[in-house]
Amino acid sequence: MSVNLSILVFLPLLAGLLCAVVPGSAARWIGLAASVLVLALSVMLVAAFDPDAGLQFVTDVAWIPELGVRYSLGVDGLNLFLVLMTALLWVPATFVSAHAGYTRPRLFYFQLGLAETAVLGAFLAQDLALFVVFFDLMLVPFYFLIGAWGGADRVQATTRFVIYTLVGSLLMLAGAVALGVLSTPDGGQISFDLAELARRDLPAGSQAWIFWMFALAFFVKAPLFPLHGWMPDAYRSSPVPVLVLLSAVLSKVGAYGFLRIVLPLLPDASARFAELVILIAVVSILYGSVLAFSQDEVRLVVGYSSIAQLGFITLGIFSLDPKGAQGAVMQMVNHGLVVVPLFLLAAVLVHRAGGSESLARMGGIAFRAPVLAALLLVVSLATLAMPGSPNFVGELLILFGVFETHIVYGLVASAGVVLAAVYMIRFFQRAMHNRVGPSVESRDIGRVDFAAVAPLVLVIVALGVYPQFLLGRTEAATVAKVQEAGRLAEPPAAATAKEPVR
Amino acid sequence: MSPVWFVALSAVIFCIGVGGVLMRRNPLVVLLCLELMLNGGNLALISFARMHGTGDGQIFALIVMVVAACEVVVGLGLIVAMYRRRLAIDVDSMSELRG
Amino acid sequence: MSLIAQVQAPTVDFRGLSPLIALVVGANVVLLAGLLRGAGVQRVLVPLLAAVTLIVAGALSVAIWETGDVEPLVQSALAMDTLTLSMSLLFYLAGLATIALSLRSSAVGEAGAGEYYTLLLASISGMVVLAAAENLITLFVGLELLSIPLYVLCGSAVRERASLESGLKYLVIGSVGSATVLYGLALIYGATGQTDLGRIAAAIGEQVEVGDPLLLTGIALTASGLAFKASVAPFHQWTPDVYQGAPTPITAFMAVATKTAAFAVFLRLFDAALSTNQVEWGPALAALALATILIGNVGAIGQRSLKRLLAWSGVAQAGYLLAGVVVGTRLGLQATAFYLATYLVMNMAAFAVVIASERVSERGDDISSVEGLGARSPVLAWPLTIAMLGLAGFPATAGFMGKFYLIDAAVDGQYAWLGVTIVVGSMISLVYYLRVVAAMWMAPDAPPLAGPVRRMSPASGGSPEADPRAQPETVAVALVCAALTIAIGIFPSPLFDLAVQVGTSISGI
Repeated sequence: MSVNLSILVFLPLLAGLLCAVVPGSAARWIGLAASVLVLALSVMLVAAFDPDAGLQFVTDVAWIPELGVRYSLGVDGLNLFLVLMTALLWVPATFVSAHAGYTRPRLFYFQLGLAETAVLGAFLAQDLALFVVFFDLMLVPFYFLIGAWGGADRVQATTRFVIYTLVGSLLMLAGAVALGVLSTPDGGQISFDLAELARRDLPAGSQAWIFWMFALAFFVKAPLFPLHGWMPDAYRSSPVPVLVLLSAVLSKVGAYGFLRIVLPLLPDASARFAELVILIAVVSILYGSVLAFSQDEVRLVVGYSSIAQLGFITLGIFSLDPKGAQGAVMQMVNHGLVVVPLFLLAAVLVHRAGGSESLARMGGIAFRAPVLAALLLVVSLATLAMPGSPNFVGELLILFGVFETHIVYGLVASAGVVLAAVYMIRFFQRAMHNRVGPSVESRDIGRVDFAAVAPLVLVIVALGVYPQFLLGRTEAATVAKVQEAGRLAEPPAAATAKEPVR
Repeated sequence: MSPVWFVALSAVIFCIGVGGVLMRRNPLVVLLCLELMLNGGNLALISFARMHGTGDGQIFALIVMVVAACEVVVGLGLIVAMYRRRLAIDVDSMSELRG
Repeated sequence: MSLIAQVQAPTVDFRGLSPLIALVVGANVVLLAGLLRGAGVQRVLVPLLAAVTLIVAGALSVAIWETGDVEPLVQSALAMDTLTLSMSLLFYLAGLATIALSLRSSAVGEAGAGEYYTLLLASISGMVVLAAAENLITLFVGLELLSIPLYVLCGSAVRERASLESGLKYLVIGSVGSATVLYGLALIYGATGQTDLGRIAAAIGEQVEVGDPLLLTGIALTASGLAFKASVAPFHQWTPDVYQGAPTPITAFMAVATKTAAFAVFLRLFDAALSTNQVEWGPALAALALATILIGNVGAIGQRSLKRLLAWSGVAQAGYLLAGVVVGTRLGLQATAFYLATYLVMNMAAFAVVIASERVSERGDDISSVEGLGARSPVLAWPLTIAMLGLAGFPATAGFMGKFYLIDAAVDGQYAWLGVTIVVGSMISLVYYLRVVAAMWMAPDAPPLAGPVRRMSPASGGSPEADPRAQPETVAVALVCAALTIAIGIFPSPLFDLAVQVGTSISGI
């Protein structure tokens, strides 16, 4: 059984184009059908995946021979589950939009399809230039989705979002071109193929600046601490289905980029700056946690908690330790899985609280809504990494990895786990229990929302019970990505730890 | 007399032309100054032609004269068109386009 | 008899010159046809003849296409190599688009259709001469043949004050540029004793030192004169004023074709004749490119007039293009040629929409004229959106590929910082390009889109022109150019192949 990755990637776009020409009422169902079809294809992909075979289902043809750019897609342990996660999460997002009845549905589902194509393409690309193309392409649909269907101040929010992210992306474009050109040996043919680039050597001096260009792009996308300025506005103004995708899927592309591109291609720079990145990650964890604790708007509670979670993921990657990286991959999937139900349930809460986003005006919703409360409880417990949840496994692995290499940061990061418990419990309590808010209507979750959330909760529980399903398949590829950088960081790690970086 | 002096003179003429274009306000005078610039170039071409002993520069200068005439014709035509429409022909007052 | 034998007339290769001959003949025919009375002649026959001329010239250019360093024509005055021919094809395309956009322009009626289209063809033939120039004299003649008809065309809407003003402004500034080029060429001639580009290249380093002050002054003056034409900072100030005042089809033509011609001569002069001097002029031009990118992009930010915005964006784009010239490598030459082609389609799409919307909106070319266009007429909004995203360098558009290629060339030519500058410029440019896109799709007062899409804009008083179907040729130009923008962004290989063939035209770099 083989899956053609090009079909997987471009199916959503084709469906989107179809949506753009059919009558508006049909567009939503075509969009939904396409997202289900993509999910089915990705499930087939996982079923057919061979954990020991390295890169599989490869599509590799010349795209722009003059520049050495190839159209090259492939699956290995690293992106397998991210693809599945993307396909999985797109279904509830499309489902919810289909029921929300947005205006201009033809345009909406076209943009949604384009977005899925871009994200899947970025995850599957095995050519650096192709990755950059898909990575930048993601922005276009999200720009329109937020700007045309968002809430108040949407134009300002989306412009800020695009400028922030494109600043990073364009720097990455320059970095990618420079990486390709500068690593070409004399008389050699220029190539952007990731495997080929990993074999070529790049002088450490060039690696340094190229590293920061990539890192900036990925930090913004995540977002991590100093570069998260676009996040609050964009999260506030996004329509809910777009918001969940923004937070669950888009943020992962950045973290994935580190593992796929930065560590294998720029191992010297990665080893050299690992400590600095870990510092940024730890600050993000603490900053995100503290802000999540102090926010009143539900979206921002979840938004800032995402910053903390992405901090954990980055921490795991830059521990440059196989365990940490594995934890990071696991946590990427976990975060996507929990944040979507979290946002969807938050939207339900807002609806129940009479349209107010404020936690202070909620409370007492659990009273007549046992199912809603139970779902939110499971998701909240997963977010705070309760033992038995997949997040527990992920965070534990990350912390193991960090303790191996940077014990001090590991200790500080552990505080983040505690803080997560604090802000999630506060969120749950304020929303569900406490005194009943002024315009709160305690009613259980509707059928549509239940249908969107319940399957995801089931997946979370299943993954918590049997994490080996994911870990066993991702291990080989993930470990290979950090090996080179980890080896370079190993001997002088003790020495550099005492010197200030640069 | 060394051709260097002619080249120097051509540079002076060119610079006078530049100065005039920048400073004078009447478009007719501006056109005159443009002619000065072109003729500065012509003088330089002819002096260099003399210096190198080749005819290329002189041919070049002849062609430039023709071209300069065309330019003046178009310039005068535009000025006349503006004058007919009773528009101010003061360069400084041309402020329709600004921003 | 003996006297006749002594005079050696230059051998004229009529086959090589055929595109140019077709243009000149066509210009005359159009001028004569314009003398005939009758609305049908003026509105249909004359533009049709002009378009046929361009198509014939284009077909002839394709027929004589030959890769490699071809033998120059007419005592090595003109080189009909792949660089010239590819650039000519761009001129013809721009010309065809301009003819289509001019069909309903008031400027044509005021200037007379025969004169208008003749001037257009004359200007295009000047561009071809300029791109082909292998000799300082032909270079200057081409430059003037390109410029003088444009001065007239800018002022062709004689009833509008802005148009006349723009014509005169362009004349004064263009002539200053031409005179500066002339003086620079005179100095280069003085330093090397040659007017032939090939011989100049041979003389530099042999008869005259690479760092000879006379030569360097000449290069500097020539570069600044050409910078006027290409609107490279700090010689760009005229651009927004002239672009805004000129009839919009002519603005589109200037923005695209003049820039292409200016860069063709930049490439030929600097990469062919002066390539041995690259270490001397490279950093200076790089500094100009840096300044142009920054000034152009910053200047565009505050603009409300779409024509001015596109003018400033054109300044910035000139900076990107200059980066391809600076490196002085074959890759740089190819990247510049490639980018010029992408620049043509993106800008033409944008201008076509501006023309279409300014004709029906009483707000002219103000950015508010396109507000809510996404709802009113998506068939116009999409091309402008694609053009804006393309100019900003979003992937899956031609602009992305062009930038990719330019950055590739810059890094490869040891100018990595210039590649980063291109990127920084693109970031700044997002501010204004996205503003246009936001105005079209996300305008706060956009009417709710339930119900049938309204085709009549209230501003036009419900005139039939408000319907995009009333000016099909403008919409067609916009749609074709937008489609090309996307097509090049997804399947760039054919254009890359062409660019590589263009790269073979100049040997020795």
